[in-house]
Amino acid sequence: MTQTREPAGSGHEPARDDDTIPDTPLLDRKRQLRGYRINKMAMGLGDPANREAFKADEAAYLDRFGLNAEEKDAVMRRDWREMIRLGGNLFFILKISAVDPIRITEIGAHQVGMDHETFLRERLGKKV
Amino acid sequence: MATLIGGLGTSHVPSIAAAMDKGLRDTPEWQPFFDGYLPAQEWIRYHRPDVAVVIFNDHYNAMFLDRVPTFGVGCADEYHPVDEGWGPRQVPPFRGAADFSWHLIDTLVENHFDPEIIQEIKVDHGLQVPMELFWGRPENEWPVTVVPIFVNVLQYPIPLPSRLYNLGKVLRRAIESYDSDQRFVVIGTGGLSHQLQGARAGFLNPDADQQFLRDIADRPDELAGWSREKYVQTFGSEGGELIMWLVMRGALNQQVTVRHRHYFAPASMTGAGMILLEED
Repeated sequence: MTQTREPAGSGHEPARDDDTIPDTPLLDRKRQLRGYRINKMAMGLGDPANREAFKADEAAYLDRFGLNAEEKDAVMRRDWREMIRLGGNLFFILKISAVDPIRITEIGAHQVGMDHETFLRERLGKKV
Repeated sequence: MATLIGGLGTSHVPSIAAAMDKGLRDTPEWQPFFDGYLPAQEWIRYHRPDVAVVIFNDHYNAMFLDRVPTFGVGCADEYHPVDEGWGPRQVPPFRGAADFSWHLIDTLVENHFDPEIIQEIKVDHGLQVPMELFWGRPENEWPVTVVPIFVNVLQYPIPLPSRLYNLGKVLRRAIESYDSDQRFVVIGTGGLSHQLQGARAGFLNPDADQQFLRDIADRPDELAGWSREKYVQTFGSEGGELIMWLVMRGALNQQVTVRHRHYFAPASMTGAGMILLEED
């Protein structure tokens, strides 16, 4: 008998730290399976009704997409680095910033572990 | 038969859209960027292309991971702006060139490219921003029709750079075999260097960007021969989308003249570049 498998990851896959190009998480097979639920949840925020649901009761909204405790915690703490580590892709999770505003450069700084001004100066060459 | 009158390349950063929407065009931060497009806008006004073939990627706004076509061709009569989280932008819907789209799909399949055929889809900043940069945002209706070519540059495996270059060659064949007096431009979009994720986020490579803006005109075969890894290493994880410019370049003759070229960094977190190529 053929074994069927859910398209979404089961939630037991380990998070990845073994990128081929250092510090550069690409959406490869393992990562997209690992992050399927987070990404699907964030994709939902393209719909205004879901944005309202997220604002009204974030935990309930995340439950609707079956996020596990680790994933929920990363989203609710707005831990961008951890969301990416758990397989989230920036183009999905960026939609969270439409509900709870934060600049993309702040998301960048957070992942690098720099304060925002240092990030702007050192990575982007801005005079701040 | 239809005529290909030129190739355009440009970044499609969402912050450019946000800057336009917030009326920041003439602020000291953005003016040098937008002014870089004035000569290309003038060229467009003078040459009045009828159809723009736009090669871009959806950034998980209209498509999800449940189905990921490596290539898709839009053959709709209309493409509305998609809601990317902030509500759809106030940009008039883009008019399709459905008849040519179907001809393109036929030509692609006959030449061993098998795209997804897309009859109903909304478009995100990947198409909106290039159109606004080159045509300016119209009050009501766009003066040009569009043919979107969607490329998966986000979920691996993404296509090989050489494959995109060859896709461009078939695109040219489709234009030249299209029974019409319409005038076409091909627009490659995306890049230049940027990385939005991981500890290397904020990676920029202005030297490589400037070199790319020279090589895309003079040494396209070389760029088409690069590996995907080399693109990501050189231009960052999201900068790897620059491979979509190769479709535009592949559609043009070997010998081209650079009518205009502009570079500005950073637009938000991205090295922003544009080029306007004509055939000799």
